[in-house]
Amino acid sequence: MEERKAIIRVENLSKLYGRNRQEAAELLKKGADKNEVLKKTGVTTALWDVNLDINEGETFVIIGLSGSGKSTLVRCFNRLNKPTSGKIFYKDQNIGELTKKELLNFRRDNIAMVFQHFGLMSHRNVVTNVEYGLEIKNVGKQLRREKALEMIQMVGLEGFEYSPIGSLSGGMKQRVGLARALANEPEVLLMDEPFSALDPLVKRDMQFELLSIQEKMRKTIIFITHDINEAFKLGDRVAIMRDGRVVQIGTPEEMITNPADDYVKEFIEGADKAKVMTARHVMVTPQCIVKTHDGANRAIQEMRSNNVPSAYVVNDQMEFVGIITLDGAMKARDEKLKVKDALITDVKMVDIDDTVDQVMTMFADAKFPVAVLKGKKLRGIISKASVITTLSESSFEQENEKSEA
Amino acid sequence: MNMKKLITMMAISLLALAGCAPSTGSGSGHIVMADAGWDSIRLHNHVVGFIAENAFDLTWSEMSGSTPITYEAFKNGEIDVYTEFWTENVAPYRGDVESGVILELGVNFNDNYQGIYVPRYVIEGDAARGIEPMAPNLRTVKDLLDYPDLFVDEEVPSKGRIYGGIPGWAVDEILYKKFMAYGFDDTFIYFRPGSDAALSAAIISAYDRGEPIAAYYWEPTWLMAQYDLVLLEDEPFDADRFHEGLTEFGAADVTVAARKGFDTEFPEFTEFLSNYSTSSAMTSAALLHMQVSGDDYLNSAKWFLREYDEYLDQWLSAEQAAAVRQALN
Amino acid sequence: MNWLYQFPFKLNIDTAAIDDAVRSFAVNNEAILQFMRRGLNGLLSSIHSTLDFIPWWILVIVVFVLGFLQTKKIKTGIVYAVMLFSIGAVGLWPLMLLTLSIVIASVAISLLLGFPIGVLISMNDRASSIVRPILDTMQTMPVFVYLIPAVLLFGLGRVPAVMATTIYAIVPIVRLTNLGIRQVNEEVVEAAKSFGSTRIQAMVKVQIPQAFATIMAGLNQTLMMAMAMVVTASMIGASGLGMEVLISVNRVEVGRGLVSGTAVVILAILLDRLSQGWVKDKEEEA
Repeated sequence: MEERKAIIRVENLSKLYGRNRQEAAELLKKGADKNEVLKKTGVTTALWDVNLDINEGETFVIIGLSGSGKSTLVRCFNRLNKPTSGKIFYKDQNIGELTKKELLNFRRDNIAMVFQHFGLMSHRNVVTNVEYGLEIKNVGKQLRREKALEMIQMVGLEGFEYSPIGSLSGGMKQRVGLARALANEPEVLLMDEPFSALDPLVKRDMQFELLSIQEKMRKTIIFITHDINEAFKLGDRVAIMRDGRVVQIGTPEEMITNPADDYVKEFIEGADKAKVMTARHVMVTPQCIVKTHDGANRAIQEMRSNNVPSAYVVNDQMEFVGIITLDGAMKARDEKLKVKDALITDVKMVDIDDTVDQVMTMFADAKFPVAVLKGKKLRGIISKASVITTLSESSFEQENEKSEA
Repeated sequence: MNMKKLITMMAISLLALAGCAPSTGSGSGHIVMADAGWDSIRLHNHVVGFIAENAFDLTWSEMSGSTPITYEAFKNGEIDVYTEFWTENVAPYRGDVESGVILELGVNFNDNYQGIYVPRYVIEGDAARGIEPMAPNLRTVKDLLDYPDLFVDEEVPSKGRIYGGIPGWAVDEILYKKFMAYGFDDTFIYFRPGSDAALSAAIISAYDRGEPIAAYYWEPTWLMAQYDLVLLEDEPFDADRFHEGLTEFGAADVTVAARKGFDTEFPEFTEFLSNYSTSSAMTSAALLHMQVSGDDYLNSAKWFLREYDEYLDQWLSAEQAAAVRQALN
Repeated sequence: MNWLYQFPFKLNIDTAAIDDAVRSFAVNNEAILQFMRRGLNGLLSSIHSTLDFIPWWILVIVVFVLGFLQTKKIKTGIVYAVMLFSIGAVGLWPLMLLTLSIVIASVAISLLLGFPIGVLISMNDRASSIVRPILDTMQTMPVFVYLIPAVLLFGLGRVPAVMATTIYAIVPIVRLTNLGIRQVNEEVVEAAKSFGSTRIQAMVKVQIPQAFATIMAGLNQTLMMAMAMVVTASMIGASGLGMEVLISVNRVEVGRGLVSGTAVVILAILLDRLSQGWVKDKEEEA
């Protein structure tokens, strides 16, 4: 992964609740855990010594059980919570030092938040909720209405612009929440367990929606969840929190291959492998490749010698163009045609970073193994059998070694 | 948990109620006196009560309420004695005495006054307070007709205001008839003060500010003893025309009354009550003493008995009077 | 053994000094008090003359229409209209208007003062801890205790009646405004803040509208408590239905008391239902 600029940097951030905070901090420095501190000093440790870099344009997921401090942490980014100690930098600006006015402007222009239970105002309808952020920074009536309608369309709520909030389903409500946050055109989007109040099917829709919006907008998203599958599905990088501390930060793969400790390992155990592993992990190198300008005879020969009924066709730049079958090649030979004339282009393709469960949906009506591409280049193929074999194996490490081998 | 708490609390309440079962049976030696809500009746109660305790070896208590409520209780026999009964204020009184429902034992005092008063400074001014005379020619109730602007009603600034009787008192009706008969209706508002405390407060408030006020009031009261108000003159009293509101208030009989059958149960004490007779002036003096010194009713009653020591001989036998005197010292 | 049961000492509070203080306050601040008296009298007069200007049958029709709109039942409208009509039918219409004008003025003042106070104490825990015992006092202090000082300051009549009624009736609107705002879903408030709302923006655009139903319930209670003060207020000379009740009670005229008392009840029921219905309508819109 290329080096990207950190948009948010967290340094030694702590948040303690209670009277004897100093005493508690001393204990924590000596390595005491949360419960011990609570028993001895009556102080609740919400966050302790958190250090993070969040890069511009990435989706950074913070995961942890309830009480691990993830919601407290996310509220420090827009100062809904005031940290006890430590610093948070937004583009080199320490947000702890913002004046009241600067803080208001920071919240209005740079950072927006989506809430677990939506945080919508029941006395306003959909469009006036979406307008809220623009309204309080005195954007003109017409302008903010236009912007709000645009956002509503983007999250797929056209037709509900003037519906009262109470009449919407959970998923629709969170779409309003998302549209409201995006209407401000923030650089950073904070999402505090935005989908955990939704039922599983709606949740999947919303995750997909978020991914496709992120595709278009490339915001920096800080996403809180307690669902490891969601974390690995959405996160470019993931931070695991426990008892107010960050246990490990890394890409999903790094976490799978190299969990920092047993706690992380246990956490990952809960993950659905199909959602964690990508096409890279399960693909095999195609045995039989032909070029577009090859003759039909050469294709037939290749297939026969490899004993397969079809061949994968690439151009000179190794870009995948389609498949040719043995039948198709023989027919082409009879009619004195070239490989490119007998191509079957109706082939399922996946990206090398697509998760296995996405790949599996392709098999339903696939006649041939699925082609795995990076960019347009062919990197491998996946057959139904190879996926099932891989998923039935127990250890991630083994799979990883195998796929890299 | 909550249910348990609730049940516990209910049980405690039940126990508390059981513990509070009335301790009835005050015995034959107990007298209940009416406290109809004003100072002078309470003072007389304490004077009579002090004598009851020390000369007759009786215990006593007061039952409080408004005039109509205590009167109902009186008729029902829950109250034994009324030491200061303003006969004019309770319309059915005469009839009830005649039919024997209650017993009139004697007259406590009948040298009292009531009617429309104005502060003296309204007529004469008050040099000490820097108040100029506002209505130097004001003498009679009818003269008030010339001064609607002086006694202006803030609620209806185009008219004057006369503070009338307490709603429900017999005088209220009589005063209202007078108000209409004298032709005040066009230029004045007949304002019912709602309660005697409110009327007192209104007079005090106006007096403190040196403002004009024309209000019904009566003597003996500490207020009349403390503040310098002038009773406006009216047509000479005539028993028949009075009820139409056409004459001044005659001195009303303020009696001592007892419930039916009281005289046979407490013959000696009844005899004392029949003798019990004071005066408006004496009562006012005691009330003023109480107001100025801050004494409670009991101490004011003792002050009263010491001050008017000679009356003990009129009310009581020598032996009884001696017992009271001994208790006073 | 007497010392076990007797209190060891008695403080002599100089109550006379308090009396004098109140009275000299009344004398020394006559200008301000008179200004307040005139203002309140003006308000009361204009409310009363407005009510008086409306022919009785229009009010009856208005009540019918409101009742009908509220419940969508003709029957309710008719019942309300008949109830109001019956007050007039027993000859108590003018007295009802007097009572109504005092109630309206008291509720208006309660709202004008109580709502901002409620908002203030919802934002500030310290202010809340100061105001709440005062509210408790206002609600439990026997009315007569402040009725007489009110007379000393404002004379006798409808002005002190409005004052006393306001002291008594302002409590629920303060309490429920405070409660309603504090009960607004925390996430909604956070959301408002997270978009950079100032405190005032969050309060005006989010918290108060979200607390609207509770605040309206407070207003309804304030209205009911103002009605409950009607008879007491007549003890300091406020004319109206309360005075009628007072006169009949003082004369032990049970029947007359019942008639005027029933008129008070009818007025209270109508005010309660009509104001509640309005709140419900608003809630449904939200």
